[in-house]
Amino acid sequence: MTQPAAPTSAPARRPQRVLTLQVNGEPVEVAAPSTWTLLEVLRYKLGLTGTKQGCDKGDCGACTVLVDGQPVLSCCTLAATVGDKAVTTIEGLPIRVGRAFDIAGALQCGFCQPGMICSAHALLSHKPDPSVSEIRAALSGNLCRCTGYTKIIEAVQLAAKDLGGHADLSTSELRTPVAYGPPAEGFLVLGARGRKADSIHKATGAAIYADDISLPRMAHGRILRSPHPHARIRRIDTRAAAALPGVFAVMTGAELPETFCVIPWTPDENVLCIDKVRYVGDGVAAVAAIDEETAIRACDLIEVDYEILPPVLDLDAAEAATALVHERDWKGRPRVDNLCKDVDLAFGEVEPALEGAAVTHGATYFYEGNTHAAIEPHCAVARWSPDGKLTVWSSTQVPHYLHRELGKVLGVPTSEIRVIQPALGGAFGGKSEPFDLEFCAAWLSRKAGRPVKILYTREEVFYSHRGRHPMEMKLRMGAAADGRLLAVDNDIRIDGGGYHSFGMITSYYAGQILTGPVRMDHYHFRARRFYTNKPCCGPKRGHGSVQPRFAFECGLDELAEKLGMDPMDIRRKNAMGSGERTVNGQLVPSTGLAACLDAVEKASGWKGRWGQQPRGRGLGVACSMYISGTAYPIYPNEMPQSGVQLLADRSGRITVLCGASDIGQGSDGMLAYVVAEETGILPDDVAVHSADTELTPVDLGAYSSRVTYMVGTAAQEAARAMGAEMRAALAAHWEIPADQVGKSLGFWFDKAESGRQMDTKAVLQLAEARAGTPLAASGGYRTRKVGGAYRGGTIGASPAYSTTAHVVEVEVDVETGIVKVLNVWVAHDCGRAINPVLVEGQVEGSVYMGYAEALMEAQTFDERGLHSGPNLLDYRIPTSIETPAIFTKIIETIDPGGPYGAKEAGEGPLHPIIPAIANAIWDAVGVRLRTLPFTPDRVLAAIRAQGAAAAPA
Amino acid sequence: MLRMDGFDFVRASDPAEAVALWHAQPDSAYIAGGTDLLPNLKHRIVQARTLVGVGDALAKGWARVGEAYEIGAGTTLAALAAMGELPLLATAAGAVAGPQLRNMGTIGGNVLLDTRCLFYNQTEFWRKSLGYCLKAEGTWCHVVGGPKTCVATQSSDTVPALMALGARIRLLGPGGARELDLNDLFKFNGMDHLKLSAGELLTHVIVPVPAAEARGSYQKLRTRGAIDFPQLGVAIWGRLQGVGPTAQIDALRVVIGAVSPQPKALAGLDPFVGGPLSDEVVSAIAEQAFKSTRPQGSVHGDSAWRRHMARVFVRRGLLALREGAQPAPVDGAPAAA
Repeated sequence: MTQPAAPTSAPARRPQRVLTLQVNGEPVEVAAPSTWTLLEVLRYKLGLTGTKQGCDKGDCGACTVLVDGQPVLSCCTLAATVGDKAVTTIEGLPIRVGRAFDIAGALQCGFCQPGMICSAHALLSHKPDPSVSEIRAALSGNLCRCTGYTKIIEAVQLAAKDLGGHADLSTSELRTPVAYGPPAEGFLVLGARGRKADSIHKATGAAIYADDISLPRMAHGRILRSPHPHARIRRIDTRAAAALPGVFAVMTGAELPETFCVIPWTPDENVLCIDKVRYVGDGVAAVAAIDEETAIRACDLIEVDYEILPPVLDLDAAEAATALVHERDWKGRPRVDNLCKDVDLAFGEVEPALEGAAVTHGATYFYEGNTHAAIEPHCAVARWSPDGKLTVWSSTQVPHYLHRELGKVLGVPTSEIRVIQPALGGAFGGKSEPFDLEFCAAWLSRKAGRPVKILYTREEVFYSHRGRHPMEMKLRMGAAADGRLLAVDNDIRIDGGGYHSFGMITSYYAGQILTGPVRMDHYHFRARRFYTNKPCCGPKRGHGSVQPRFAFECGLDELAEKLGMDPMDIRRKNAMGSGERTVNGQLVPSTGLAACLDAVEKASGWKGRWGQQPRGRGLGVACSMYISGTAYPIYPNEMPQSGVQLLADRSGRITVLCGASDIGQGSDGMLAYVVAEETGILPDDVAVHSADTELTPVDLGAYSSRVTYMVGTAAQEAARAMGAEMRAALAAHWEIPADQVGKSLGFWFDKAESGRQMDTKAVLQLAEARAGTPLAASGGYRTRKVGGAYRGGTIGASPAYSTTAHVVEVEVDVETGIVKVLNVWVAHDCGRAINPVLVEGQVEGSVYMGYAEALMEAQTFDERGLHSGPNLLDYRIPTSIETPAIFTKIIETIDPGGPYGAKEAGEGPLHPIIPAIANAIWDAVGVRLRTLPFTPDRVLAAIRAQGAAAAPA
Repeated sequence: MLRMDGFDFVRASDPAEAVALWHAQPDSAYIAGGTDLLPNLKHRIVQARTLVGVGDALAKGWARVGEAYEIGAGTTLAALAAMGELPLLATAAGAVAGPQLRNMGTIGGNVLLDTRCLFYNQTEFWRKSLGYCLKAEGTWCHVVGGPKTCVATQSSDTVPALMALGARIRLLGPGGARELDLNDLFKFNGMDHLKLSAGELLTHVIVPVPAAEARGSYQKLRTRGAIDFPQLGVAIWGRLQGVGPTAQIDALRVVIGAVSPQPKALAGLDPFVGGPLSDEVVSAIAEQAFKSTRPQGSVHGDSAWRRHMARVFVRRGLLALREGAQPAPVDGAPAAA
């Protein structure tokens, strides 16, 4: 290490008290400040990092531990009050409940699960055979953002059976390849219900997330943020902060003036603001100190002199340019407006088509903004070594883009930088670009000569945002008398917040992805994204297209109503077929809309129930299409978008190196499946190392639902190459033709001679001997030319599209306006379901997240530009109690281009739930809701307005 | 992460020691479950220098003493939620927050819960951006838009239930113990809503043993089926003879909470006592609830809608009461036992 920059004074040590605790059955003595919570002592003194921290203050349940057998929130338990009560953390629990979670596929990102498993364990300790509603109630203080609770409830039921001695979970050892179901016909592994690669680590608290990392001499950073939505920075005085004992380094934006953006064409952000702040929460200065408390105090001592400017807080003010959020664009040219991106694309002749339509519909829809709220707050640890090499561990879902931007902004060759993504506690698009904390941790590490960690508070997560854009949509559409959809016109204004982020892409996605799976003859959209003085919006699950899909699918129902058609039928009438091109020129190689509609119609008992239930009860349908990856990389290049390398080991293991980010969706498990399929080894014998820029070939990241399609293709290519070497070696050894060699799970065999076989380990050794080098293989996903032949025609173009249909059943209380979603039936066409458990998990999580957006979530700001409640108490995400029952049906319309025919599953299924709920409310009570979320006061107002309209004059 | 700073902790082994420790230091605060205090410390809206731990000092559990149940202030909400003797209180205790918090939080803490406001229960950073508020460090109430009155909301679920049950509390101060009718504890001032002397420690909650024919319900309005504080809480308690529209009212109390600093018993019910709980009477009382309830915007949710919901809850509660049933929860939470 270099000598650290000399601290300005001796580090201050906070007064400590010695606590004697009983933790996991052992007495421990630990010195900690009197102000520390049990959580802080467990995580940061005892190294029991299985207990997680999500919300700062008792709202999310991730920190749940057992005290005397009862679940409590360790973040709101003062360590000094615990005394001699028995504390049990996830690390001290018996394995069986966690293993049931693993087997049931209940772990996605895994971040909430240690706390969830503690609650489940406590429930089963006093109630061995709980009902579903008892399980929901017992887990209602543990928020999960990934699963929709569906598989968690199944896991608790499975654990109850196991503990009751009624289930065989192959309990003898964890190593056993438990619970793999039968594969799809003609495959060794694919299609089998199986475990995720990493979930047992998550279920036992062993997985290491960014904030679980602690390095010797590590300092703690903190970012000072703007209290004003719009202000010019006149002066920043950091002297008092730098002089505070315990402070190692202070930085301001002027030290890193290079701008950045995840989209390289539109760099409009600085690491920390230099001239202006653009939202409440914009970063201004940063500090590294001996502990977080000292860093907080130091930030309090930084004086910033602001010249307050009038803020731009809504679309009207933004369009009227009452003030300019950015005075210059990214090329330094003066701006005259707040328009960040303007896309205007027409396909066919919309106006004449509307004029000729038998029925038309026109309405304005408003989709309120909302945010990802992953339970893990963003965290980065940076170590700038004396040899000039920088390592950054970050909770990112795009290590490669972070790697590039770190190099650009820090002025360091990327060959000197290593980015590692540890286990990630949920992302949903909220971690898909570089953030201030990664740059600040790196720069402060260089200045302090120590590793630096920065962990966002929950409030900072809300300010960093990059979530769902508020959108106003003026939609017009028209259909012929037979239901054929003739024309659609959508005029969209998008509230972008303070910076560009993915804004250009958002603006295109708002129009470009709407054109299937329901066919339309003529189409025009205009999408204008404006800057405002609010936290920057970006990609949240279903980036850019969830909002227009809501408007469109609601509008389709209104057309059906005017035509006297069943809403199912108008969708069937216009259903695209596989191989068809959309009106905007996108080729859809496969689509299963008809099958999806059939499935949900049947499962929900639509016929005989839709339109025929008593007032207050209703069914609604909606469908959607989504991309399986974007056609082109964010920065133009001819290199593969995704790379996979395989290394075989003489032990019979194959190591996968791949840059792909497993953000909980299970991409590591997908890789293991593909390699197992092509080589015959067990998925558990595949060791996946992912998302480390020094070890793994580039993958562009976990966004735009690209991973299964593109990484899967790369993995398939690599694994097939290795399989071919194995086959050739065995054929040579047995002196038979290669096509006479067959493979099965665990062994290869001679198709012609019964009983002649060799286990995969021996085959790998044979192949290595034959090659004379270590056995290795590579594969890549190379960009395929797709998209329309016009400017912007490649944005929203994808090599494949998934299709989804939902039917939702609601109960509307006409006296209170409260909407309850009772059941959700989903059919999702994901092409080949490589591991159905993971597909279902993605579908269920999407349904949950969309349900929440429909009924309760809203990220709003007041007239001061202040967030209406940047915490997980005021920003309500659903608990296990109100989340509806979700019934998932996987439809496999095998895609000609996807790996084994696979397409995406992680984002498409979110779209339809929102309009399906709106359409179900109409079926229930006859009101059309066009503003989200559907809060009870809004629903009640609509019902009352209906009553007033119906009343005689 | 939000971190706490700047206080020390001392543990009291009995109530008298707790009171003495509190008075021995400036800026002291009692801590039992800590579920209300710790978030407030993290938000820097409470700036105590000494926390006096009363978790071991306060009695836990309850005992029947004469015609009343004496509930130790250290009894957890989870324990109370299983209290068969007082189902109304059990329902309310079971509606507080989520399971973990009910295992931690005590009845004493829930009764004395600090008032809450969207402009107050926020971080130091957020409140500074706001320019602070009347309740903490500022001069302006952002809810009513004025400099005089703070309308932060009393947000306890158990208080309306306890008031409906006619509960009293026992307090210990340096001068000894005293008892107070729970109706007399609160005042309409969100900055200072408790009529307590400095450093008084709540040691017991005393609930009269209800008559055999007594019935009650607690309805909570919230977005989610767990975790949320109430947007409205309505406790109804009564003694009725018979069932249905002809059931005769011998006694009736309706308490409405979570709309202002002061939970209030609905006034004007005396004329109905002795008569039947007919549909007309139910409507009249529900209308009275609507008229007399003015929900403050200090709590999440449209205020006019919350006011409407007071009418709905009272009507549904009374209809259930005369059937000896429980109204269906609107938040999806499992129906009350």
